[in-house]
Amino acid sequence: MDRITSIAKTILTEAKKLGADYVQCTVSESEKKEFNVDGGQFSLMRTLFDRNVIITVLKEQHKGTVQINRFEEDAVKAAVADAIAACDSGKPDPAWEFAEGPADESFEEGIPECDTDRLFMRTKELLEIIRERHPKILMEQMITEHDAAKTVFMSTNDVCYRTRSGCYSFGLMYSAHEGEKSTSFYGSDVTVKTLDRPVIECALIERELAAVEQQLDPMPLEGKFIGPAILAPMALAEIVIGTILENFVSDMSLIDGVSIWKDQLGKEVADPAFSLSFRPLGEDVVVGSHYTGEGYPAENFDLIRDGRLTSFFLSQYGANKTGGTRAGNQSGNIIVAPGRETLEQMISGIDRGILVMRFSGGQPAPSGEFSGVAKNSFLIENGKIAGALSETMISGSVSEMLTQIRGISSDVLKDGNVSIPYIAFDGLTISGK
Amino acid sequence: MLQDLLNEQKSLFAPGVHTELRGQNNRNRRVVLLSGDVMANVRSDVSGVSARVYRNGVCGFSSMAEYTKEAAATVLKAALENAAFMDRHAGNGKPPLAPLTGGQPFVTEDIHDPDQKVYVDFAREVDAYIAAHCPKLTSRKVLATEDSMEKLLKVSDGRDAHILSPRSYIYVFFTAETPAGAPVELFKAFGGSGTFDVNFTDPAALHDGIDQLYEQLMQKREGVYADAGEKTVILGGMMTGMLSHEAVGHTVEADLVLGGSVAAHNLNKRVASDLVTLTDFAHTAFGEPCPLPVFVDDEGTEAKDVPLIRNGILTGYMNSRESAQHFGMEPGGNARAWMFSDEPLIRMRNTAVHPGKDKLEDMIASIDDGYYLIDSGNGQADTTGEFMFGVTMGYEIKGGKLGKALLDTTISGVAFEMLKTVDMVSDSVFWCSSGFCGKKQPMPVGMGGPALRCRVKIGGR
Repeated sequence: MDRITSIAKTILTEAKKLGADYVQCTVSESEKKEFNVDGGQFSLMRTLFDRNVIITVLKEQHKGTVQINRFEEDAVKAAVADAIAACDSGKPDPAWEFAEGPADESFEEGIPECDTDRLFMRTKELLEIIRERHPKILMEQMITEHDAAKTVFMSTNDVCYRTRSGCYSFGLMYSAHEGEKSTSFYGSDVTVKTLDRPVIECALIERELAAVEQQLDPMPLEGKFIGPAILAPMALAEIVIGTILENFVSDMSLIDGVSIWKDQLGKEVADPAFSLSFRPLGEDVVVGSHYTGEGYPAENFDLIRDGRLTSFFLSQYGANKTGGTRAGNQSGNIIVAPGRETLEQMISGIDRGILVMRFSGGQPAPSGEFSGVAKNSFLIENGKIAGALSETMISGSVSEMLTQIRGISSDVLKDGNVSIPYIAFDGLTISGK
Repeated sequence: MLQDLLNEQKSLFAPGVHTELRGQNNRNRRVVLLSGDVMANVRSDVSGVSARVYRNGVCGFSSMAEYTKEAAATVLKAALENAAFMDRHAGNGKPPLAPLTGGQPFVTEDIHDPDQKVYVDFAREVDAYIAAHCPKLTSRKVLATEDSMEKLLKVSDGRDAHILSPRSYIYVFFTAETPAGAPVELFKAFGGSGTFDVNFTDPAALHDGIDQLYEQLMQKREGVYADAGEKTVILGGMMTGMLSHEAVGHTVEADLVLGGSVAAHNLNKRVASDLVTLTDFAHTAFGEPCPLPVFVDDEGTEAKDVPLIRNGILTGYMNSRESAQHFGMEPGGNARAWMFSDEPLIRMRNTAVHPGKDKLEDMIASIDDGYYLIDSGNGQADTTGEFMFGVTMGYEIKGGKLGKALLDTTISGVAFEMLKTVDMVSDSVFWCSSGFCGKKQPMPVGMGGPALRCRVKIGGR
């Protein structure tokens, strides 16, 4: 930590010497241990030693940013000079603003030391359990890793944060096979602090493997109907939450003025059962960020509370450009409030609809309208799963969907980064052959 | 250029195992103007050294963010230890890789590194033109960017290389509103292989393209929703390129074949109409340089064209040295890594359908009720070959003539079924190279092809 702190101090001193009004930098050292499985077989072990230096400079309201991965003094000084030069070529913008100190804090997150033998053991165990319990599953690729990092954030506004972190992550991509039949691929991921329990017990991995195994004999949907769709957590994140973040509440969409929610702050934008927050400091997050990119301390915050839009997702820059208020953090730690029904109860209340596990779609239009393929999905008929679907498209409008929520599950995906339930929406266009 | 600090480190290669040692620098320059404001002004240089060792069917890899002889020695040792760990715990006893013929190291010329001011000034001039000539936009964004890879490769067998691969682009994003007040957008990329100062000397050279994009957006704001269902369509060259890459290309990457892709059961079988021939080109296609040429891959294999579909029959896969040995094929130079800290993966280079003999205007005239789909924002495909592409620009075809523009929609289908419906292929090829392919790592790729007439499922509202 002393070494990267010293580099950070050098950067601040050098940039001030070159005329910067404000400087901030993030200096980090990291180490990754990783095992790869390809086509069901162990293929590779990696050890990576990495460094990262990001320097942001403000000079006469011009901003410049430089990133390098070298620590040598001459390289760091050259990077500072580059950042100043980048500033000189920019356009002045009084909206740039960064956190004021004093702030000096240290954080420790997760387990910084990797237990390599145990990581390998848990990886091998997971493969063996899947072979035994889910024999039709072929692991196209599995990547298991431990990431450790030491990071210093420092600015000339007397702000300093030091973080030591470490966690284990497991990423699985798989499909089911029987003879020449195969399913769409599906991905399960989880981040954990320790290796105390078998990975198969984490997140929704076991349930997702079982579901994919049931998709070997999909049937095409005949015709087209308007009906309900239950979005599984990752499909919900992609279609609904991704669109909200990208198109409705982001810096870009609000500065641009294209957000359809630009005048909706404080108003009802969703069913009262829907609440969406970002909680990097919450108990569901293994390694969360304690500060924002502009140096402000991170705070958990609600974007939508009981259906009402309570905040945008603005940085301080975005807030200054739009006359809005900076959001509590800029994390991806999505927390959607769960409901009271189980997934099975939600299914039992649907006469005809679909359960979408994954969505493959085009980027939603700025209006929030989207269409795409419902992957790894099931037809629901008469309150029961009637079979897997092939080549089924869904389309709709995210802003309309949010007002047409018919149920939120008590079953929740907690993968170490997010906490998201299943949500059933009315009024989607579902079309087959 | 990277100084060659690695040649003498070859003496540290362990005998009897395949070893790669690679020094690399990735540079990125990026300027973003949003309605005239500089939203991002970023320079990034990331360099280091890595080693990979192949032993008895498993690999060890290590990298350091430091380009020195000492770092090279450290990563060679760590990669060897990792390979030994894997061999001890998970070795599968596969034989050594078939040796490659060597040759003179392949070396390219040094490249420029323009000042950041060059990017900012050019982007501003483009932005000023848009502000003056495109009055009905609700917002505009101009992105000036360059990303380049420099790789210094030493291999235990095969071809050493020192290669610089720059590419640079100007992206223009436009947003306008429909009469009902709903936002619609379009974007266009200019540029290709080469440094920014070489590709962009005169902002006026972009004016025609900008005018055309604005005209298309004005048509789109008055556009209609496509009628959902299976339709006869013409896919423009950009869409054909997307299809070649996403829906076919990925399924014939040998690592995904081993992971159970649809191509595993279709080698030497008919997967398309006999009008369809598809190749992953290395550096030259149809007598011209490819958009992003590749001469030697990161395993030291000299790059060759890889035929994938010939007259509708699936003829091959793209391979690494290991997968080529598994399938009894020749490696064609597809194993490529993105950063110094990345291991080579099987990646496409320049994947395209070959041109046919039809004229685009005849193809449009042949359709009574269908669509001409020109541009795509993104696309995804499954290892089953099931694909979905977003369509950002297209037109109705009514009675053999182009009709109204389309609002955003998507198309989907199963590649090896949809390609069997191709019954007309245009005589000119369109290439694009501005995006990244995403696998475990990003990778610049080229893709292209002629216009195809085919049946495909289109999404409506």
